[in-house]
Amino acid sequence: MRYQKLAAAALTLTAGVTFATQASAETRGYVISWFATATNAADFKANCPEDRNKGRIEWTIRDLIAVGYTKEQATEIVATAVDSVTLPPEIQNKMDTRAVVAGKPASVYNYPEAVADPNIETVTGKYAYGFDLGGANRANKFEDPDTHQLIDNQLWRAVGCTESFRAVPPVMPYPEELAWNTMVDSAPGWAIQITGNDLSKDGKVTITLNRTTQHPERDSNGAVMTNVSYIIDDSPRSHNVLQGEIKNGVLSITPAFVRLQGEMPYYSEIAIRDTQMRIKFEGENLVGYWGGYINWIDYVYMYTARPANGSDSIGLYHALKKMADAKPDPKTGQNQEISATFRMEAVPAYLTKLDGTVVAAPGPGGGRAINTSAR
Amino acid sequence: MTHRFGFLWRTILLATAFSSTVYAAESAAPEIPLSLRISPQEYHKTIADVFGSDIVITGRFEPEKREEGLMAVGARSANISADGIELYDNLARGIAAQVVEPQRRKTLFKCAPRDVATRDDACTRSFLASAGRFLFRRPLTEQELTARVRRAGDVAEKKGDFYAGISAVLSEMLLAPQFLYRIRKVEPDTANPGQNRLDSYSRASMLSSYLWGSAPDDKLLKAAESGELLTAEGLWLQVDRMLSSPNVEGGVRAFFSDMFGFDEFETLSKDATFFPRFTPKVVEQAREQTLRTIVEHVVGERRDYRDLFTTPNTYLTRPLAAIYNVPIVDKADNAQPDRWIRYTYPENDPRAGILSQISFVALHSPAGRTSPTLRGKALREYIMCQAVPAPPGNVDFKLVQDSSNPNLRTARDRLSAHATEAMCTGCHKITDPMGLALETFDSGGGYRTSENDAPINTTGEHRGIKFDGPVGLAKVVRDDPAITTCVAKRSFAFAAGRSPTANDPAWQQIEKQFKDSGYNVIELMRRVATSEMIYAIPAQTASAQPVK
Repeated sequence: MRYQKLAAAALTLTAGVTFATQASAETRGYVISWFATATNAADFKANCPEDRNKGRIEWTIRDLIAVGYTKEQATEIVATAVDSVTLPPEIQNKMDTRAVVAGKPASVYNYPEAVADPNIETVTGKYAYGFDLGGANRANKFEDPDTHQLIDNQLWRAVGCTESFRAVPPVMPYPEELAWNTMVDSAPGWAIQITGNDLSKDGKVTITLNRTTQHPERDSNGAVMTNVSYIIDDSPRSHNVLQGEIKNGVLSITPAFVRLQGEMPYYSEIAIRDTQMRIKFEGENLVGYWGGYINWIDYVYMYTARPANGSDSIGLYHALKKMADAKPDPKTGQNQEISATFRMEAVPAYLTKLDGTVVAAPGPGGGRAINTSAR
Repeated sequence: MTHRFGFLWRTILLATAFSSTVYAAESAAPEIPLSLRISPQEYHKTIADVFGSDIVITGRFEPEKREEGLMAVGARSANISADGIELYDNLARGIAAQVVEPQRRKTLFKCAPRDVATRDDACTRSFLASAGRFLFRRPLTEQELTARVRRAGDVAEKKGDFYAGISAVLSEMLLAPQFLYRIRKVEPDTANPGQNRLDSYSRASMLSSYLWGSAPDDKLLKAAESGELLTAEGLWLQVDRMLSSPNVEGGVRAFFSDMFGFDEFETLSKDATFFPRFTPKVVEQAREQTLRTIVEHVVGERRDYRDLFTTPNTYLTRPLAAIYNVPIVDKADNAQPDRWIRYTYPENDPRAGILSQISFVALHSPAGRTSPTLRGKALREYIMCQAVPAPPGNVDFKLVQDSSNPNLRTARDRLSAHATEAMCTGCHKITDPMGLALETFDSGGGYRTSENDAPINTTGEHRGIKFDGPVGLAKVVRDDPAITTCVAKRSFAFAAGRSPTANDPAWQQIEKQFKDSGYNVIELMRRVATSEMIYAIPAQTASAQPVK
């Protein structure tokens, strides 16, 4: 069928669209349709046996106590708040500005360091998704439920006992879901090109990550639509060329730094040092994990950018700071990076250059994908 | 509200009764009535042309009905129900309120009131005479104008607002039958004593509706006023002028929207589980895609109508291109509205021609599966003007509709089993061979090669010619004389509000001219618009008495 073989060789269509695929290789295009902290929350009790962090109500009571209310008063304030969430403005303001900087009240979200560590519970369970990043402290290691390797993922240890991260895919952790759904209809997307001789077989591949100039197009279910055309943003800031391999149907890469520019209030950027990937071809989509070291402060910005996002901002700040496990500051000794893993999904897409050259297509052989649905 | 309607419609009925030459839809000659309710498209276009395209029209219209294959023919017997009056009233109020908004006054009013807090009859008269001439498609009579100026003044005085008076009267004019209906008026034919003819303004409104999908412009109304439209030479001049205008796109859009049954888009939706790419935006864009394809082909390039069924050229947006599974480069800034990008398919691509577009394959499929029968029926009825009988009342559709039957995996399998029932065979022979050729397009317009893992067989035969798949079908349809006869017949009916008489020599001449022009639709429109056939008064009406 011509459709399947369409772009096996370079073709020129009169729509000003040129296929650039080499005859000897195929390049498939994708756009990221899901990206968030990799959770492993199916067995919460095993992860967090004390279950002392609880949820928003509990940490709001905790913060009210921190500004001088008794436990009974704090419980009463929350009980009478609209939806147990919206406190009277004067009380909310008192909590929000309880940080003290240079003797003056300041925002706890801007100065979380100036607020006492509430010492939230962190994950003590055995399992988390991730990669062996070479972390020396064996006590910090988790076991990956899929690969059963010992892995480094202190990010999950820090956030995993918090209610807002108690999410099982396809549900995203609440702060990221909120941010994703706020931004996906306006923030430019992230594109993935995978080039190899035959992507249906094991072998060496090249993975190219770029930002697109357009935001992801949504489908009728609110998911990212498949087979949409995107123009690659040629900015070097988000251009990543990675060497990889497909083995037993799983794509991995040689560790490398990955940087993709993002948009607030989602991640201002995805910047992962020593990134490793484990990506499967599931149907026409990609599903997998990216892991490496990230700047934990950048991660904090992701959820403190919107104070009322359902996260325990102060508790998480201090937990992340304590769990950070790499790149110590030469002066203070405080680790600036934390081992982390993100779960991602991507859907097929046409990727083009601004001049009309098609650099990647969704289907096998670089051609059009075919719907084999029963309908 | 009731009081307002009562007042208005009493006024309308009185006005109608006063006019000795106005015939209502329920005239004494119901087979060829003289008044046609304007379509929602013509309503929109007229308001845009008269008051500006930035006037937002929100709300529903009274449903249309299809007769002789066209809404434009159904319009001759389209009444307005009590609920419909309310719908039109809401539309009218919304439009009138926008017209008098401060930012539009400088553009839409040639005068400013001496005192904005009260009446200014001279300024009111100036505005109503000007706007009313376009809305009623003729100059207002002195009686009509005087009454409306008085009423606008009374409202202005009562509310202390000149523009409130204008708005009140304008909304009433937008609810008047003189606006909502294209009223055809007869007058004595001076060239043929004892006979009647359509008057000049009726001809003008027919022409503008047919060629532009809108109300007459100033030049056309002047030609009507001078009597130019009653002469063959004058008529040709105006038709030539109108067909050279960019506005002809409006007429072509209106006609093909009607002929191809695009009103069905109003209720088109797909099961999101199976067709997630089929978003509301896609529904809106699919209709526009086909209309753009037609306009470019018919108006821009003046190409052979038959080639619409095989043309590789179309226009796509990113969401449409995703369904058609082709790349396009839209260089619009992020988050800007989708742009239309011209796209040309390679030779012999199954997507060539308008039959492969969502506006056909998805429009004529149920929400969750395809229906070769519905597609074949649509092809026969909309494109070939051939009648397909309705299924018998007691027919059992279970076999056809159960797409999960493991023994009948493809639509062809299911239809073959269904068609063994004698009562079904006949009709399915008419519809299914053509519909089955399009089975590689799923209900959402996507391309597929198999159904339930069984390969799809797209072979068929039409008029003794065997074909395979959408490409083969498109060529067979392109070469079927039924499609050119059909478009000519529908074009005439769209203009006249009735179908032509097949054995009329004048009609046969139009068909020949259409053929001689290389099936150029614009030439067809020229011949129809300049033919006295469409302006002919039916025998009963030639001496008919007006409705009392």
